[in-house]
Amino acid sequence: MKYELVSGFETHVELATATKIFCGCTTAFGGAPNTHCCPICTGQPGTLPVLNKKVVEFAIRAGLALHCTINTTTHLDRKNYCYPDLPKAYQISQFDKPLCEHGYVELESGKRIRILRIHIEEDAGKLVHEKGTSYIDYNRGGVPLIEIVSEPDISSTDEAREYVEKLQLTMRYIGVSDCKMQEGSMRCDVNISLKERGSQVLGTRTEIKNMNSISHIEKAMEYEARRQAEILDDGGEVEQATMRFDENSGETYVMRTKEDAQDYRYFPEPDLLEVAIPQKKVDEIAASLPELPLEKYKRYTTELGINAANAKLLYKYKAVCDFFEECLRLGAGVKNTANLILGTVYSTLNTEEEKELFNIRVTPEDMAGLVKLADGGKINITLAQMTLAKMLESGKPFTEYIKEEDLAGVSDDELTELCRQAIEANPKAVEDYKNGKEKAISGLYGYIKRATQGKADIRKADAIIKELIK
Amino acid sequence: MSVTDKQLKQFARLARLDFPDEEIEAFKGEFEEMIAFWDSINSAVEGDAASIREVGARQIPLNGLREDEVASSLPNEKILSNVNGENGYFTVKRVVK
Amino acid sequence: MSKIMQLSSALRGKKISSAELTKEYISRIERLNPKLNAYVCQTFDEALKNAEAADKMIKNGEGTLLTGIPMTLKDNIATDGLPTTCCSKILQGFKPYYDATVWSKLKSQGAVLLGKTNMDEFAMGSTSETSVYGAPLNPVNTTRVTGGSSGGVASAVKADMAVYGLGSDTGGSIRQPAAFCGAVGFKPTYGAVSRYGLIAYGSSLDQIGPITTSVEDAAIVYDAIRGKDTKDQTSVSTEDGKTELAKDVKGLKIGVAEEFFDGINPEIKNAIDAAISLYERSGAEVIRLSVPALKSALPVYYIIACAEASSNLGRYDGIRYGYRAKDYSGIDDMVVKTRTEGFGKEVKKRIMLGTYVLSSGYFDAYYKKACLIRSRLIADFENVFKECDVLIAPAAPETAFPSGYSGGNSIQMYLSDVCTVPVNIAGLPAASLPCGKDKNGLPIGMQIISGRFCDKKVLSAACFYEHEAGIVIENQEDLL
Repeated sequence: MKYELVSGFETHVELATATKIFCGCTTAFGGAPNTHCCPICTGQPGTLPVLNKKVVEFAIRAGLALHCTINTTTHLDRKNYCYPDLPKAYQISQFDKPLCEHGYVELESGKRIRILRIHIEEDAGKLVHEKGTSYIDYNRGGVPLIEIVSEPDISSTDEAREYVEKLQLTMRYIGVSDCKMQEGSMRCDVNISLKERGSQVLGTRTEIKNMNSISHIEKAMEYEARRQAEILDDGGEVEQATMRFDENSGETYVMRTKEDAQDYRYFPEPDLLEVAIPQKKVDEIAASLPELPLEKYKRYTTELGINAANAKLLYKYKAVCDFFEECLRLGAGVKNTANLILGTVYSTLNTEEEKELFNIRVTPEDMAGLVKLADGGKINITLAQMTLAKMLESGKPFTEYIKEEDLAGVSDDELTELCRQAIEANPKAVEDYKNGKEKAISGLYGYIKRATQGKADIRKADAIIKELIK
Repeated sequence: MSVTDKQLKQFARLARLDFPDEEIEAFKGEFEEMIAFWDSINSAVEGDAASIREVGARQIPLNGLREDEVASSLPNEKILSNVNGENGYFTVKRVVK
Repeated sequence: MSKIMQLSSALRGKKISSAELTKEYISRIERLNPKLNAYVCQTFDEALKNAEAADKMIKNGEGTLLTGIPMTLKDNIATDGLPTTCCSKILQGFKPYYDATVWSKLKSQGAVLLGKTNMDEFAMGSTSETSVYGAPLNPVNTTRVTGGSSGGVASAVKADMAVYGLGSDTGGSIRQPAAFCGAVGFKPTYGAVSRYGLIAYGSSLDQIGPITTSVEDAAIVYDAIRGKDTKDQTSVSTEDGKTELAKDVKGLKIGVAEEFFDGINPEIKNAIDAAISLYERSGAEVIRLSVPALKSALPVYYIIACAEASSNLGRYDGIRYGYRAKDYSGIDDMVVKTRTEGFGKEVKKRIMLGTYVLSSGYFDAYYKKACLIRSRLIADFENVFKECDVLIAPAAPETAFPSGYSGGNSIQMYLSDVCTVPVNIAGLPAASLPCGKDKNGLPIGMQIISGRFCDKKVLSAACFYEHEAGIVIENQEDLL
């Protein structure tokens, strides 16, 4: 392709505060229409916004996690536009003095996507048209958002995906948002333009609004880049426009062009005072930040020696990491813990959401206890897996399944004797093995497992059997 | 400072108001008169505003903001008490003409 | 002389009950309001109920000076379950389901609300003539306007259809009608009284305050409504306790800024000069000074007020409350028709002007520049109040105009706010009180201004004059 993709993202993230940004109504998702409402969030005449402290603190937290500078004072502005889901006919947002500025998101490759600014604002309500009637629900109106604006540093759909995933992960790690795109708690506006390969001149950009899934973002970007390339190839000019992505057709279409661009008439919100942010508070928040995703990934692959593929499967989920690290703290070994989580535990968690929540019935203490047995060779990994599966099912501790007397394991002499017996009892399988059927030997394992109730180390048994029949 | 009909229509669109053509002339006169009056401030001040917040604007410390504690919302009947809602929603029925 | 104190002691001395007092006021309203059109909504049933409750409070030794006293609120102050329309068609039928903080404070003290009073539509005007209910009349002379925008409150208080009332002042809307009707009007420091429940016109300028028949009453009502409110982040706590009014003015430094007297009717100027002499004779020091930024105050005020109004009034779209157009094709059409039919001419004009000054291409030349001059004016006033305790100025350049005077000449009308708007721009406290009459017998208003949160200095200086000059505000019943 003779063009390079140039893309910047404006990402709206709903903050996980208990109450709305300007009133005490709950931010809980859903609810019967207009039941999470009060005079303030329905824009009743005479009411005034009262800024929620936690919104500012969460936004600072997000800013610090994305390496931004936090301004020492900040104020809110009115963004005026008229739409039925916006009860005051203005959105309280931030214009010329955002809370956070100049940060970045680092990708695994080491490339940095610069963050221009992060500001706080309120969400709008929901408008649905049905059979000639418009229905409006303000439950979501006034839910706090941060808008994270990136520089146009994204140059491929892969980078776009990773950028969004990293943002998602970071927000979850620091506990400011669940970033559920399907519930709308994270949404992206994607700016796209093309430039000739090697050129410094940026093309005219279009903006695709309100994307709510990563795969849609990729499809929309691909479609839009192709559309722009075709226009440019034909010698045409891309028109600056706001677009929508149609999930069904996989196409983008124009919502409005520059001619009917909005004039938001921003001005400082007179109903709120300028907020002074003491450096001490910023330092406190910075000190309370957990290890961030990329730092964790790097530590897992270097210090802990976990391979990249496995490290990625772990660090994607904050709760998994917390559980994993707690096991390690309790003395469990890295390799067995990681393998048991990625194998046995993950096989019971079918969706991304379940992995994120990581609501399992095994405590880190029990997990660590079990892993330590395997680490010490007291039980083999197969037994550990089987036991863990039972524990996950029942919620009972491992001591329910592995008794004291089992823990002696099987001595080498006993195991050699058992292997002899197995060979004698399975002449056909031995014959087949000798004739080159490698797999036939596994028929002998069952005998040994039965004889030891699974306690024997099958890998060891395998070596002994092969030695004996050589 | 004079304004064109087109500009006035544009401001009216932003303000969600409609001025019939027969009213717009008279309105334009009053509008321009006011703007001429306002233009006097342009000679009254020099320099650039670094911030449009008033100088010495009062500040609120972060700790003075509202705590994140849920207060009960109002019942749906209250929220809809000034309209004829439907199934808990505010509604606007499209009148097909 | 404090009418509130007199009535309160009569109530506590069992000379009269609140129910009886309320009935007297109701019959006065029934008799006088048809002539004066001060009330646009009468809440007599509730008033009688509240009066009985107040009588119980008094019997139990509870309550305050305001318990059981009949009063009124301007129609832009939200009252739970009672119509609150800003005298606009667009809020026709609107009943808030919440109380303004000032009203919930007064209600809890057993205040008796007689009804809501007339005003310019959305408080935009200086005569109360833009009200959808028609103008209220001036009890002093019914051929004259009451002033505005709190004209209904001033008319009701002057005609003794309420002991006191609360108005709102964005550019003089308490002080100027008080001056035109010969009453006392007090606009507190911005932030001293919560704005929660006051339907906004210009949010950075709006302030609630009392209209009364004496300065002492203004202080009593002010004490009852002021204070930090968790529902208004711009509100601040002021000193606790009662506002004690000083008894003398020895050593009081009174500033007289020449700009306040430019183009003022000579009769008014003479009356104010006489008042200043009285202060001087009583031991005050008079300092003549100049505040050049005052010359730009009027355009700055109108730019900021219109800008904020254009945003504040965007919410009236017919969806959640108030008027909704009857014929429309879709939701967008409904909104435009509702606003076009629901707002009056003056309101529409200010919305358009405000939209203009905020729109891209004009923002820097008007809105931003106005903010810059505003900060300069604030700084100038700060310097003035380093030298002076109070400023004395006229409340208006003219006495009450004949009804319909403006005759569509809006600039003329806007110029009448020249004495009052600087106070709002800088968020200062100011009172207006009667200081004589002109040759037509119309009241002249004197304005006393002080620095932010020096509300007590304003009230003390005003109270001194009221006592020293022997001003007694009479009922205007005989004139009607």
